[in-house]
Amino acid sequence: MDSFLIALESQPFAVAIVEGASLFPWIETVHVIAIVTVVGTISVVDLRLLGVQAHVASARRLMAQLLPATWIAFAIALVSGLLMFSSKAVKYAANGPFQAKMLLLLLAGANMALFHVLTHKDIAVWDTGRTPPSAKLAGALSLALWTCIIALGRWIGFTV
Amino acid sequence: MSIESFSVWLDKTPLSLEIKGAAWFVPAVQTMHIAAICVVIGSSLLMDLRLLGVAKDVPISVYVRRYSPWIGISIAVLLLSGITLIIGEPGRTLGNWVFWTKMALVTLGALLTAVFAVPVAQDEIYWDSGRRRQAATLIATLSLAVWVAVIVCGRWIAYVL
Repeated sequence: MDSFLIALESQPFAVAIVEGASLFPWIETVHVIAIVTVVGTISVVDLRLLGVQAHVASARRLMAQLLPATWIAFAIALVSGLLMFSSKAVKYAANGPFQAKMLLLLLAGANMALFHVLTHKDIAVWDTGRTPPSAKLAGALSLALWTCIIALGRWIGFTV
Repeated sequence: MSIESFSVWLDKTPLSLEIKGAAWFVPAVQTMHIAAICVVIGSSLLMDLRLLGVAKDVPISVYVRRYSPWIGISIAVLLLSGITLIIGEPGRTLGNWVFWTKMALVTLGALLTAVFAVPVAQDEIYWDSGRRRQAATLIATLSLAVWVAVIVCGRWIAYVL
């Protein structure tokens, strides 16, 4: 693992991020824009799952409108995150808040996958009406996880 | 009193020392700050895209009623958390031109939101009339650009000065 991390750090793009004074802040800026878009759009869906009305009654339509934007923003956050990681791979990999953030990202992914497998299949039943408890739980978990992911992201900056 | 001497004075006040005192406090306030930005961005993205003509089957007034209050609440949270962060580290912000650029942009963003949302309270189809379409496109594009620029400035306060 360590040799992989060291190899990553010595990649030309990783070296460029370390050496270019303004490269890291710009990547970080893109990362922040991406993550606020992820959380901003997913929260509207989460709140709908919790029972707060959005601009359309149909939960399915709301998800079809918003989640593509969430995924594009997530992809940008992932790439910019990987680039920042590569600049100090050994340090980030050993950083507690970083490890916790990765764990919570996996949990957020698992929460979403479970929602799709267990709850979303019955969406025709509750699409424009009251959401079932399992949908409420998924929405609440998603909101909580993403808030913690933001907090841990901020913590990394203070501890690496 | 100049900005510099005010900043030096503020830095030594008991409140500032309290904010600096606990290591977890500043990141926690920053997290609140970012969470509020998420709400502003999510809400303006939906309102502005609708103003640009996306998902036209839902009236603009529905978007305004649903999302503009969230922008108002979030700006209040942003101001409170932002002021807390400034009291904690006045030297980092008050003498920083990026910070003041950000403040100008936040004011512009709030004004654009009001210009968009206020007429809709009186007239639900205000922005739907043909001759206002161009103005609506301009306001929506500008508003999205301004909020993105606010985030850029927010991040760069830490790197400039």
